[in-house]
Amino acid sequence: MRRIIEPPPEAGAAPSPLWRRLAWFVGLAVAGTSATAAVAYGLRSLLMP
Amino acid sequence: MDLDALLLSRLQFAFTVAFHIIFPSFTIGLASFLAVLEGLWLLTRKEAFKTLYLFWVKVFAISFGMGVVSGVVLSYQLGTNWSVFAAVTAPVIGPLLAFEVLTAFFLEASFLGVMLFGWRKVGPGLHFASTVLVAVGTLISAFWIISANSWMQHPTGHEVLADGSLRAVDWWQVVFSPTFPERFAHMALAAYLTTSLVVGAASAWRILRSGPSPESSIALRMAIGMFAVVAPLQLVVGDLSGKDVQRLQPAKLAAIEGFWETRTEQPFHIVAWPDRAIEGNRFELSIPKVGSWITAGSVEAEVQGLKDFAPEDRPPAAIVFWAFRVMVGLGMLMIALGAWGAWLTLRDALGRGGREGPERSRAFLWSAVAMGPAGFVAVIAGWIVAEVGRQPYVVYGFLRTADAVSPIGAGQVSASLLAFMVVYAVIFVAGMLYILRLIAQGPQGEEEDAPVSDGQPPGNALAAAPPEHRP
Repeated sequence: MRRIIEPPPEAGAAPSPLWRRLAWFVGLAVAGTSATAAVAYGLRSLLMP
Repeated sequence: MDLDALLLSRLQFAFTVAFHIIFPSFTIGLASFLAVLEGLWLLTRKEAFKTLYLFWVKVFAISFGMGVVSGVVLSYQLGTNWSVFAAVTAPVIGPLLAFEVLTAFFLEASFLGVMLFGWRKVGPGLHFASTVLVAVGTLISAFWIISANSWMQHPTGHEVLADGSLRAVDWWQVVFSPTFPERFAHMALAAYLTTSLVVGAASAWRILRSGPSPESSIALRMAIGMFAVVAPLQLVVGDLSGKDVQRLQPAKLAAIEGFWETRTEQPFHIVAWPDRAIEGNRFELSIPKVGSWITAGSVEAEVQGLKDFAPEDRPPAAIVFWAFRVMVGLGMLMIALGAWGAWLTLRDALGRGGREGPERSRAFLWSAVAMGPAGFVAVIAGWIVAEVGRQPYVVYGFLRTADAVSPIGAGQVSASLLAFMVVYAVIFVAGMLYILRLIAQGPQGEEEDAPVSDGQPPGNALAAAPPEHRP
């Protein structure tokens, strides 16, 4: 079964290009923020008349 | 006892907040522990640090999720059960809670994703930065919550408008109210203590069950190092916080110490049962004069007793008195455990202990296991002292708890309280049992699992074979 929590790369594994790592970093951060914002706005819309 | 909406609302908030505080008091320390583990792994490339990180990050993820969900419930209760409190204090408290969301919550939410799902995607440096940011986020969260609560303990920097509501006139004074620095330090240290006790207990349990391993040994010694330093420091910070209480909330101090008369040479009550009906203590076991010395620094100092306050302005003394003793008693046991562990570690390091390192002392290991939940109990007891001791006010000296409750019926609150109890019993007990199972399994548990099957069904012998040798 694939692990949900990702372990670090194996020692000696070639790193992916910097642009790709940065893109993942920004993408995951934005995805986390967006998910939080979506839940917040969802709850807000439930409560607001 | 008349179970009216006020009492039921108080019970509901007490139940949900006591449940909630378990999780942040664990995750604040655990996030920092993870950052240290990852930093050490990057520095040394020692496999044990990585294994420990991958183990504790799972516990962190579940605890963090449960902390968030149980925290949201509290915010809603401010609207449903405490709408008068919300309406009156929102101009002051509201921004503090909003700052918590904007600074801490979004920081944690943004980088938790990288922390959990991004190690192979973003590389070690950015991943470490994410772990550190999540750890900082948990501390920022504590900062704003303690700031809001400290303002409720001693409100400053505001003015009262003609309609009775509040307006902040000096945000600096609101955020950094007089008791805030000591209370924030006290809570942060409590979180670190709680986490180190859990990590110590889990590691001790693994050693007792399976013998020492590099992971269990490292985690046990890191935990010992943390609570050996932090537990005595907590005593000092707690005393400073107590001095604030003596200066700013004398009725709470009188309840904590079971003082009824205002006098010099107050005795220190080791045990007693403060009884409102007789305005005194039953079953006292006391040391003469020491109470004045502990609370005010001199046996000649006059310290106020509860009789100095009108009966309707006194907090429930017995609850506060005993909660304080539970907190301090556990704190003393933590100091003793830390000293014992440090002594065993030092002897081992100096080569004088023979086979008596902390991993070899079964008595110490069992004591560490027994003290695993002590941090949680002490944190809850401490918050009972803070919150029940502030009664009958919700904002000290300004808004009484009885005047802060929503215009709702006892039936409505009973129904929601019952619903909370059922939901919490099912969801959170399941979550906590899962965490305990993970902890019992230990960091090696995952590696001991069946090999990754690579598409083969579980139990298939081919799953263990190298792919090139499969048909």
